[in-house]
Amino acid sequence: MRNAPPDRMLLTGNHAVAWAARLARPKVLPVYPITPQTPILEKLSEFEAKGELDAEVITPESEHSVMAASIAASLAGARVFTATASQGLLLMHELLHYASGARAPIVVANVNRTVASPWGFWPDETDSLAQRDAGWIQFYCESAQDCLDTVIAAFRIAESVLVPAMVNLDAFYVSHALEPVSVPGQELVDAFLPPYSPPHRIDPQNPESWGNVVSQEMYCRHRRDLGEAMARVFEVALETEREWSRLTGRSSPIIERYRCEGARTVIVAMGSLCGTARDAVDALREGAEAVGLLKVRLFRPLPVEALRAALAGVAEILVLDRNYSPGYGGVLHQELRGALYGIADPPKIHGRLAGVGGVNVSAERIAELVREAAAGEARRESVWVEG
Amino acid sequence: MLQIIIEGRGGQGAQTAGNLLASAFFAEGLEVQSFATYGGARRGTPVRSIIRIDDRPIRTRSDIERADAILCFDSSLLDARLLRAARPDTLIVVNSVREPGHFANALPGYRVVPVDGIGLARRHGLGRIVNSVLLGAFARALEAPPLAVLERAISDEAPALKEANAAACEEGYRTVDAQLKRGMA
Repeated sequence: MRNAPPDRMLLTGNHAVAWAARLARPKVLPVYPITPQTPILEKLSEFEAKGELDAEVITPESEHSVMAASIAASLAGARVFTATASQGLLLMHELLHYASGARAPIVVANVNRTVASPWGFWPDETDSLAQRDAGWIQFYCESAQDCLDTVIAAFRIAESVLVPAMVNLDAFYVSHALEPVSVPGQELVDAFLPPYSPPHRIDPQNPESWGNVVSQEMYCRHRRDLGEAMARVFEVALETEREWSRLTGRSSPIIERYRCEGARTVIVAMGSLCGTARDAVDALREGAEAVGLLKVRLFRPLPVEALRAALAGVAEILVLDRNYSPGYGGVLHQELRGALYGIADPPKIHGRLAGVGGVNVSAERIAELVREAAAGEARRESVWVEG
Repeated sequence: MLQIIIEGRGGQGAQTAGNLLASAFFAEGLEVQSFATYGGARRGTPVRSIIRIDDRPIRTRSDIERADAILCFDSSLLDARLLRAARPDTLIVVNSVREPGHFANALPGYRVVPVDGIGLARRHGLGRIVNSVLLGAFARALEAPPLAVLERAISDEAPALKEANAAACEEGYRTVDAQLKRGMA
């Protein structure tokens, strides 16, 4: 590769995603712009134009067509990457299901942004959480470094199990935050991520058919196969993390326990809130309060067993949701209640709608929420936090 | 941790200025975080750039509720909304033709350093593009980053008129240096 990157670069979350995609050597990049994701595809187009990335950049007329092109290219055996946000992801919705059903291991970066109406550009994870049943692996990233590491890992995991993967990053707090990022060399990534070579592909020389009309039993079996592939993600992700850690010294577990030793209260969160929560945990620990953080990096498949093991024996759980499912509440709160159902000595689970629509959540506010939760009863419904 | 807000209007370069400032501190070996939030990516609407600088990795991802220093690109934005993010000891550098005495009367209890960004930018053929001048002025008032490091960051990143931008940065720096020395005399 020309212009080998210096090890530590100042990159935004968006540009860390673009660097990760470049290092993964995708063959096809169907792209459509949308704030706050556009810098990802701008940087990838720039890499391609300078001859630093050998890929076909396609510019279809909508995100729906981007996903259609992605599926076709993936089924032809090409490694495919694209990026979107908010309304763009919602417009892809129909074909997200198609991609997972067709077992096309596309990797999509989604910048989490409020969904309309009303119009906004703020960090909010409702866009991707609304796709949780679409059969995609879903990761949520905390920092630009996390984005880079996760995009590269996502290709390896998705291609191992033939399930597409979505890598999510919060608008502005991650997508536009410029910060130091360690960028691995091309040789390291090549060793970690061999070229994509699926067992079946669309090939005019060896015709196979795809997406046929099937019987009820065949359809049902197909769904079960998809579920079995999802279940293999945990093991593949663990092996992938071990290898990445060996090569780079950085470890990104599917769920991360931060200062959870002997914790009476554990904050559970995803995405950019985890960074702020780390500062809250440190401040509370300094005051001798036994508080930790559990970062949920992999949301689909939901690591139920790992969550139950990590939260066993904890007295209080404070779930922070930067999303809102009208009529039920915070998605992570409600999923966690389900995941922990029937656990021995069940913890009290306090759900807080914190930062919905991009409302600011400071470390001091999180520390207050921990104290308020410990002093009160846990309610079944998620509780709104005032900004 | 040093927490800085750069407040401007869409199109003025507040976001670019935040990234340049972060680059200069990064070049000094410090950990940095810089991001901007904007209300619709429209020209003229307020844009807030958030910059954090520390000697250890920065993890928090929230807005700055109380800034150590503020750089205000447009004096019409130096109002109650912006001052909510200031403490009495917060350094405020503002793009304005007015004298320091005006702000001492108008905003008692705040430390405001005005600099005529547009006048100085025009002198360097930069029209209304004030970010290089203002960054130089800000670096002098803040006493960091060093002028040479900031000038290098500006020349590396400026898409055109690299020398004019570096010179404008230096003049902003010198102007505030003279103003502060006058104030002490």
